[in-house]
Amino acid sequence: MKNYLKVERARNNLTQAQLAEMVNVSRQTINAIELGKYNLSIILALKIAYVFGKSVEEVFELEDSDWEK
Amino acid sequence: MPVEVSNFIKDNPLNIKVFALASQELSNEDEFFVVIKNSIINEILGILFIVGAIFIAFSKEKNEDEYITQMRLESLVWATYLNYAILILAMLFVYNFAFLWVMVFNMFTILLFFIIRFNWKIYKSKKQVADEKLS
Repeated sequence: MKNYLKVERARNNLTQAQLAEMVNVSRQTINAIELGKYNLSIILALKIAYVFGKSVEEVFELEDSDWEK
Repeated sequence: MPVEVSNFIKDNPLNIKVFALASQELSNEDEFFVVIKNSIINEILGILFIVGAIFIAFSKEKNEDEYITQMRLESLVWATYLNYAILILAMLFVYNFAFLWVMVFNMFTILLFFIIRFNWKIYKSKKQVADEKLS
């Protein structure tokens, strides 16, 4: 899964820590999501998209590799 | 067993009567539902260790969230695999009374492996964030 967290954070002028606080998770979690190390839950994805005022698909995007088993 | 040690086990104040669902001494018959005399030091130490380790292992982190919960579950699975891998190796390579020690330690190692691996993972994710801050 690709994510545009970094781009959206820059656009909204938010640090990882600030975003983490807004969606009520730890900084490590935001960091791991940005690095593609962690597949976040749907609820958290919805929350993050809400903070950016975007739909989930605009922040997170499927990759070809996601279709492989 | 050295004489002092066996005397200590017999004479110490923790050597008390206990109820046993099952008890078998070396070269004796099985006994069920009996009251026997037993030094309860090992029982106390064992229970203290297990309860303490469970508290350490499964208390919520200060900032517990879904990512940490996933690391916790992964670590638990990992610890189970490692524990049984080591047990299989020990079954193949450790024999007789030495294996008794393997069984004694094996009662506690799964919690120990879990705690070590889980905290290592947390440490690494914190370090990752700290490193990013610097760059």
